[in-house]
Amino acid sequence: MSKNQSWILKHPWSVRSFHYLLVLSFIPLAITGVVLFFKPFDQLTMNLYMRIHVVTGVILTLDAVAYFIIGFTRVIAFVKRSFSFSVNDIKWFSILGGYPQKFLLGKKVPVPPMGKYNSGQKLFGICVLIGGTILIATGWGLWGFPHILPHGMTALFGTLHLVFGWILILFLLVHVFLGIYMFDDFKAMFLHGKIPYEEAKEMAPLWVETEIVKIER
Amino acid sequence: MKEERYQYEESPSYVSRREFIAISGIVIAILALPAVWIRSAVVKRNSYIRARLNGLYKDDAGSKVRVSHGNSGVAKLYKDFAGHPLSEVSEELFHTQSYVNRTRI
Repeated sequence: MSKNQSWILKHPWSVRSFHYLLVLSFIPLAITGVVLFFKPFDQLTMNLYMRIHVVTGVILTLDAVAYFIIGFTRVIAFVKRSFSFSVNDIKWFSILGGYPQKFLLGKKVPVPPMGKYNSGQKLFGICVLIGGTILIATGWGLWGFPHILPHGMTALFGTLHLVFGWILILFLLVHVFLGIYMFDDFKAMFLHGKIPYEEAKEMAPLWVETEIVKIER
Repeated sequence: MKEERYQYEESPSYVSRREFIAISGIVIAILALPAVWIRSAVVKRNSYIRARLNGLYKDDAGSKVRVSHGNSGVAKLYKDFAGHPLSEVSEELFHTQSYVNRTRI
């Protein structure tokens, strides 16, 4: 870590704390969800998994609702970034961000300039926004109010919970792999919130050009 | 890890006021519409039960015979054959002998 290196605050404390709770709740939710789907254990053990699923689901809900209220401006910025598309996104998807070439062939191919989130992260963001909301709402319906909901709606909630659960679990595997691969970003999210200016300029040139400002002290 | 200073941050004006209002409105509407739909479905969830209930009362109201002891066929059966309710013949023919308490099953 050079002393002369410039840093950008990418993930402030509010985002990091939201992400910590998200990690602590979603990973147990995903594991218990998969176990509940395949039912490999006896009734008592499955009951324990269900309890863990419910408790972590409540934690996830509180985390999401708190961030939605406290960090509302950041939520709106996240929505804007996730739903902003250009020709660069089509070009990015046509080469899948250059990752397969890098991992499988050891080649570095030119990648179109990206903003704070690349096209894959935007797709993940959209899935998290829509899928996460549906998972929370249907989870509460299935756990807390199955006796109030009409039968057809309870069945629909079950199907939606299952489908979006699997989609987010599969996305999570890719997210964790690439999150650790981008180690500076990983450290920023889990430790100090900052990434080197030069790396950001290379990975997200549009973000640095259009959104980043120097702090006047 | 030692906390170091940073020199750059995101511009707070990335989302303009107009965009903020528009996106907030869309987000809140998208969250509110399913809530309204779910509430409406929950309120109407017993409508088919109520419709059946009303249908049964309507059938009753339109029937000439509305109680079993007013049924002339049953009255004739007792008069001509079984004698009276709880008679020996009634007990033998109408009462079940194989009652099984299934409340604890």
